[in-house]
Amino acid sequence: MVQINLPKNSEIKKGHYYKDKTGSKNIRKVNVYRWDPSIGGNPRIDTYEVDMDNCPSKVLDVLNKIKNEIDPSLAYRRSCAHGVCGSCAMNMNGKNGLACTKSHSEIKGEINIYPLPHLKVLKDLIGDLSILYKQYQSVEPWLKTSKKSDDTEHHQSRDDRSKLDGLYECIMCACCSTACPSYWWNGDKFLGPAVLLQAYRWIIDSRDEDRKERLKKVADELKLYRCHTIMNCTNACPKGLNPAKAIASIKKMLATS
Amino acid sequence: MTDKNPLSPHIQIYNWHVSSLVSISHRITSVINILILTLLCFLVWTLILGNQNYQIVYNFFNSFFGKFFIISFVWSYSFQILSEVRHWFWDLGYGFELKTSKITGVLVIIGSLVITIILYSIRGILV
Repeated sequence: MVQINLPKNSEIKKGHYYKDKTGSKNIRKVNVYRWDPSIGGNPRIDTYEVDMDNCPSKVLDVLNKIKNEIDPSLAYRRSCAHGVCGSCAMNMNGKNGLACTKSHSEIKGEINIYPLPHLKVLKDLIGDLSILYKQYQSVEPWLKTSKKSDDTEHHQSRDDRSKLDGLYECIMCACCSTACPSYWWNGDKFLGPAVLLQAYRWIIDSRDEDRKERLKKVADELKLYRCHTIMNCTNACPKGLNPAKAIASIKKMLATS
Repeated sequence: MTDKNPLSPHIQIYNWHVSSLVSISHRITSVINILILTLLCFLVWTLILGNQNYQIVYNFFNSFFGKFFIISFVWSYSFQILSEVRHWFWDLGYGFELKTSKITGVLVIIGSLVITIILYSIRGILV
């Protein structure tokens, strides 16, 4: 259901202000969404003054600096710091992306950091993605084949392999799905761009023998056709992939098969 | 997950871009078009009921609100048609690259305004 306003318990209050203690002249204000389950109440925006003279180039570096030097209670996910694991996906100045690949110099003015949109918040910048993972599981993202070959590879022509380009690179960071208004309003039923791109990755794989069943499974008014080509997904993807096109390809396959 | 956990902000913080703007406008104009078409049918119906109603319809279309009504209808209809053409290309599998979708989105917005201006300026010839 479309619900424009946030629920009462999710309305954001003004939080603490952490003044710079280093005496640096190159200061930047960083506004971060905070919510602690052990305190409860409403979420708040804390503002940190960060010394940019001693800070590396990415938004994740800014967060690390805050956590290490200003406020150790700040919680966020991160792991590889090279845009491969997808852990540090968050909303930075109104656009989803990976904090480890987004340069803070690209952002003008104050840096505003929120968790991925329209998720239940576990703590601070950590959103609950369990529904998305369940949906991912529902498309059975593994090779289905009747051939038993424990000792040899499943062969694939160069042409067939190239069909997986732009799909296999997906790291399931959820930037696209949580950028999608259709997924906001119907996230429990609509599979969302991330999962549909994965579904297409297996539908189009020449080695997979379950194409018909896979297509039949996603051919659903809510699961697939809630996509209205808003293009927020493609716009957000930090890996430069095109989930909107993958979804359209599934629709086209269903219309022409 | 409990109800205690807040919902992270979404439409309140998310940036708009050309494609999302055209998408929501496509929805809004389709609702407007249905309403206006219904109203037009109603006006035609009043004409059928008798020629004394003609003056009312005539006055309405020549009032400031009537002119505003016509111009907005022409705009929302041309916007709808152009945006629908964009959707056809998408359905055929073309135009999904970020740059292309941005350009076609801008074309829809500018095109609808141009069509509105053209149709309004040649209205004397059409009627």
